[in-house]
Amino acid sequence: MPETGLEFSKEPTEVAVSIRNLSKSFNDVEVLRDVNLEVKKGDVVTILGSSGSGKSTLLRCINWLEQPERGSIHIAGERIGVTDEGRAMSVKALARVRAKTGMVFQSFNLWPHLNVLHNVTEAPIHVLGKSRHEAEAHARELLDKVGMSHKADAYPNTLSGGQKQRVAIARALAMQPEVMLFDEPTSALDPELVGEVLAVIKSLSAEGYTMVIVTHEMSFARSVSDQVVFLEKGLIIEQADPETFFTNASTERVRKFLERNK
Amino acid sequence: MNASAWNMLLEGAWTTLWISGVSIAIGVTAGLILALIRIARIPVIDQLLVLYISLARATPLVTLVLFIFLSAPTFGIQLERSMAGILALTLNTTAFNAEIWRSAFRNFSREQREAAMATGMTPGITFRRIMLPQMIITSLPGLINEMSFLIKGSPAIAVIGIVELTRVTNRISAVTYEPLPPILVACVLYMAIIGCLVWAQRITERRATRLAM
Repeated sequence: MPETGLEFSKEPTEVAVSIRNLSKSFNDVEVLRDVNLEVKKGDVVTILGSSGSGKSTLLRCINWLEQPERGSIHIAGERIGVTDEGRAMSVKALARVRAKTGMVFQSFNLWPHLNVLHNVTEAPIHVLGKSRHEAEAHARELLDKVGMSHKADAYPNTLSGGQKQRVAIARALAMQPEVMLFDEPTSALDPELVGEVLAVIKSLSAEGYTMVIVTHEMSFARSVSDQVVFLEKGLIIEQADPETFFTNASTERVRKFLERNK
Repeated sequence: MNASAWNMLLEGAWTTLWISGVSIAIGVTAGLILALIRIARIPVIDQLLVLYISLARATPLVTLVLFIFLSAPTFGIQLERSMAGILALTLNTTAFNAEIWRSAFRNFSREQREAAMATGMTPGITFRRIMLPQMIITSLPGLINEMSFLIKGSPAIAVIGIVELTRVTNRISAVTYEPLPPILVACVLYMAIIGCLVWAQRITERRATRLAM
């Protein structure tokens, strides 16, 4: 009897990120209005929308870099930012939940005083408490994966934008997060460097990483996504699989957006 | 100048060096701590620190040394001369250093901090591993500048009878009636000390180019 009960509750959590009734304003402007979104484990969700639609804010709420006023976010079943008693999390507890997410920023944000290898090992060593040896071995694997192992000893200021972003991806992966968050990862890149970064992200999706991506690259979004979400003035106005979204969007607004961004 | 004059000069230089050195070591660390307390914006304490910093920055060093040395007995404190000298220099330099550290903290890239927090670093780890190493590099030109100001201002402690490098030249010429040689040597010694600092500054500037992204 107790065994069956246990098995029943042991149902695997298939949801990597669950966002419920999320609202957020800056001053008096509502940037997110009652947003609901579920990201299944292994899925790639891209968030599209024109600038100012709230898509970056939504992404930054997921790891609590922005604090929403209402609603809840769960990462792999654990609520971020707010304790069970409804109070704000301590900085330590927050950092622990945050570590379940990895983020890649538009402007790379590598740490310039550390070389490439140490940018990747810094958090595993000082947050997860891994040994330097173990962290470096894992970092070298990841740098290999993003094609940057030959630059392990280089400092960020000697790298191109595309190279910096690939290192930033390795840095985020090093924490073995439940979900990877990409905030316009190619927007700050020269056009000829966009491809190398998108190729890396695509290879991650093939490996089954769970990802939420804010992007302006339409063909990339179409080919990589399991789900496309369109934000307009803080509201999700369209949510569909990529085929439906790009060929048969239900709202006029999305059809216009796609027309302009061809 | 005879051997004993040279000896006196070197002793004076040593006095200048160790009193300045101790004041610099305490002043740089205390300045960082004060800067962090100010950034935390704790009411009352913040206002007290602002008051201290403006007072310390506005008071001439000689006046501060005299004040500390002469007022200590009033508060029932027995202060040795060298302690009074160190205290005055430290109070002075800490105020300037606090401002240098504070501006380094305030100007630190928000993006880099966010990247650190996004990997799960607590504010404490972020400060120690990401911010402080870079703040040291960016603050060093200002800090070293302040160190050389302190060393050049250190003859102020002679006013309470500490025989440091400048004061000792007086003593020597009082016997030899030749003021020029000892003061010349003192100048060279000051230049050597400051020269070491400037050299250290150059090395750190080379490392700082990495931070320019």
